Amino acid sequence: MACGKTTRGNHPVRRLTRILFSFVLVAVAAGKCQAGEAIAAELAERIDQQIDARLSSEGVRAAELADDAEFVRRIYLDLHGTVPTLEQVKRFLPDAEPNKRARLIDSLLADSRHGQYLADIWQGYLISPLADDSTKRAERFRHWLAEQFNTRKWDQIVTELITATGKMEDNPAVTYLIEGRLPRAVPDLTDLTSRFFLGIRLNCAQCHDHPFVKWKQEEFWGMAAFFTQIQTPKRAKQVYEKGVVDDPQLTLANLKDAGVPDGFIQRAPTFLGGQALSQATKTSTHRAALAQWITAPENPYFARAMVNRTWWRLCGRGIVQPVDDMHEANAPSHPQLLELLSRRFVESGFDLKFLTRAIVLSRAYQRTSQPGESADKSILRTAATEDRQAALFGRMSLKVLSAGQLYDSLETIAGPAAKVTGIDVRQGVRWEFTQFFGESGDPDPMAYRRGIPHLLRQMNSGQFAGRNLDGLVTRLGTAAERSPEEIASDLFLTILSRRPTENELRQVKSHLARSGSAAGGLRELAWVLIMTSEFSLNH
Amino acid sequence: MLSKITRRHFLTATAAGVSLSGWLGRLAAAAPDGQRPKSCILLWMAGGPSHIDTFDPKPEAPANIRGEFQAIETSVSGIRISEHFPRVAKLMQHAAVLRGMSTLESDHKLATYHLHTGYQNRAGAVAFPSLGAIVAKELGKRDVALPNFITIGRGPQEALTAGFLGPDQQPLTVNDPIRGLDFIEPAGEPEQFGRQIELLQGFDQTFHARYQSPAAETHHKSIDRAVKLMNSQQKQAFDLSREPDNIRERYGPPPSASVRPAAGGKMVSGGERPGSFGQGCLMARRLVEAGVPFVEVVMGDGVGWDTHRDNFPRVRALSLECDAAMAALIKDLDSRGLLDSTLIAWMGEFGRTPQCTGGGRNHWSRAWSSVLIGGGIRGGQVVGRTDRDGATVVDRPISVPDFLGTVCTILGIDYKRKNHPPGVARPIPIVDTSKDVNLLTELL
Repeated sequence: MACGKTTRGNHPVRRLTRILFSFVLVAVAAGKCQAGEAIAAELAERIDQQIDARLSSEGVRAAELADDAEFVRRIYLDLHGTVPTLEQVKRFLPDAEPNKRARLIDSLLADSRHGQYLADIWQGYLISPLADDSTKRAERFRHWLAEQFNTRKWDQIVTELITATGKMEDNPAVTYLIEGRLPRAVPDLTDLTSRFFLGIRLNCAQCHDHPFVKWKQEEFWGMAAFFTQIQTPKRAKQVYEKGVVDDPQLTLANLKDAGVPDGFIQRAPTFLGGQALSQATKTSTHRAALAQWITAPENPYFARAMVNRTWWRLCGRGIVQPVDDMHEANAPSHPQLLELLSRRFVESGFDLKFLTRAIVLSRAYQRTSQPGESADKSILRTAATEDRQAALFGRMSLKVLSAGQLYDSLETIAGPAAKVTGIDVRQGVRWEFTQFFGESGDPDPMAYRRGIPHLLRQMNSGQFAGRNLDGLVTRLGTAAERSPEEIASDLFLTILSRRPTENELRQVKSHLARSGSAAGGLRELAWVLIMTSEFSLNH
Repeated sequence: MLSKITRRHFLTATAAGVSLSGWLGRLAAAAPDGQRPKSCILLWMAGGPSHIDTFDPKPEAPANIRGEFQAIETSVSGIRISEHFPRVAKLMQHAAVLRGMSTLESDHKLATYHLHTGYQNRAGAVAFPSLGAIVAKELGKRDVALPNFITIGRGPQEALTAGFLGPDQQPLTVNDPIRGLDFIEPAGEPEQFGRQIELLQGFDQTFHARYQSPAAETHHKSIDRAVKLMNSQQKQAFDLSREPDNIRERYGPPPSASVRPAAGGKMVSGGERPGSFGQGCLMARRLVEAGVPFVEVVMGDGVGWDTHRDNFPRVRALSLECDAAMAALIKDLDSRGLLDSTLIAWMGEFGRTPQCTGGGRNHWSRAWSSVLIGGGIRGGQVVGRTDRDGATVVDRPISVPDFLGTVCTILGIDYKRKNHPPGVARPIPIVDTSKDVNLLTELL
């Protein structure tokens, strides 16, 4: 863990960055300086210049800004992984302060829930559901990640993950390294590290030279060789008992002895692009050298990968698509924007909150996801032009709520899930729920992929809407003598973070008239709102 | 597209329904002679059954390898199997025993994933579909109420997945066949449910018109399909109480009568009730009759066939329970004229070590057995052979792609056909063809 830092500290650029950055930190800590926020606002401005220039050069109209209701739901889901509470919505909507969106963003980023949400996402990426004992590990790992995301910079987090030593109980970061079992753990780690930290799919090159991009088989194995010092078949059990330790004697050859993995090539540790491990760095462990190379400010992949992934997460599509397949032949939609954000991310000292703040402050992020009516009626709205608008970030994309967002939103709305026959919660209620409703890897955030099994459970199990909806209705109704319409309106605010339209209120009234009791009718309304497409989507 | 079908469906569906024999009879009559599309029932033996103690007995081996069980003759001369499959032994003419299974993974989850999807993929760059999802996509009918891929018993969730094939091929899971399908009935009164769905239609229509999002449409389509199933008569296929008692009993002892011995005094078979595997097989037959192309019945949730300890008492009990269910399934399908169009596959994720240590056997993927029955194959044969100790395959090794390629071919699916998963540059064949696939042509 520490070995990476000592060597890194000597890098002049890094030292300078760190000095500059600690200056900013001190200033912020003093509570005087809003420098971070100001810089982020300035970057948001530049994001919009780039996006808008491109829209106008292609003659594509940008959509309006989202209204406050759309914004408040979106920002809570994207930064905290849940819909806002009724109180939070009621506080935000009438607030007349012009700066209120920026203030909300700052408070959400400062809240530890932000790190917890990122941790939830990343433990899903970094732990395979095929791992043994995945619940316990995921739990510990998630706590660790949350702390990291809340307090540290991205380069530090990645360094911790790649160079971790010790046992999982003492240092949950090693979960990343020993999650996959031996001996194929080395190829797996190579694949995960290149996809999630470098935005490169190297795994095809495990077995053959990549047909479309420059990665050759030997480059895969050159990267794989960095991980062999901890991972040999002979030590399969020891890894669990003694934790991760480096043994400088171990090389790819040991891995080969254990049974040849697909496409195996004997190669010395070599960074992507062909630079071999230098004699000077050979004194430290291979992993420390790898972490240093990956997180160096001049690494051409590291910052871009996280910028693209963060943009993809917040905006529904990456500047490069697919999000982890960045290579020359797969051009970014906005090359200068990617360049700009990557540079500024590096300059910030890989400050993820800074990057996030800049993106969500931009108009591009804050636009509505409604296609809306074209001002110019002569322009025929076609599917193609609609797609173009969204593809150029002239309109927000609708994202599907992840399993974690669904679970946490339901909890925000109606409290903890009830125990339900037919659902096996031996491994924890939330874990089971996210396994059932979720998907491994990083599926397209815009694609709805749930089918009959999920919808049956959504509609008819107590775990979804059968939560305490009566309690919710009662809670909303007891504050004062309130009319059913007022309670209905609060149900919309609680579940969809907006007020009902006139038309919807009319439908509600006729529904209440048909359902016998007002309380029963309102409970039914709560159920219906939770079943809507609107609830399942982040629009 | 927003459909108005949902509401109409709901309003016309009544609690009365049509008698089961009525609709099943009509379905059966509708199938043209000999042209019934094929179905597959996978009997998944979770935990990995010992091949030596089931379908590859080794009477010549030393005692600590041979184990405690005797080999018995079957209806096909020359084929001998464990004494604890006496009923299946009499039906060997329908079966092919594959004794050359030789696979790469000996960890439960990794092997289960590999056997189900045909791919080893642990880092998760591509979400591969399970065999059931593949068959559902290739053979399943569109616009039917019943999903085309149904699993019974608590299964290995991470392997029972539609992967990149998407929501239409997702498996619907019946956790406990004795209880029936969970969440198929609305929580409240039918009128209330209908009223709610109507209001939902209204809200969603407005939202869809305003946002015009494909995700919203897919969401609503999934709701429509779920409601359609709730309102369908075919959902009766999940209701075993509609089956005569004598048939239910044939598939296995009633739940109370059979209790599996537990290892170390603990209940080890996990959440599954004893006897539920047999009832699951019966449900599988009902689903196949109703036209479902792929049903997977899981035996041994939790520890199941993973007999590191107390191998012999546990394998005996599991075998007898499995034997009754399997034999009943084969005979039942046969008597209904469905055996030739229904392929039954029996397998786990691997076999177990030849040596017994501490009364148990450990994981063994280098040599093990699976069984194929019906589906129009040439039965009454053994494919592949292991050495005296059941430790290595000495003749006709069968890899995962060989096995799955053969299953696909029997079902009439071109296993080389390529899918184009979204976001993946290369097309992916149904079965991994990166190495030579050797079909078991002797079965075809």
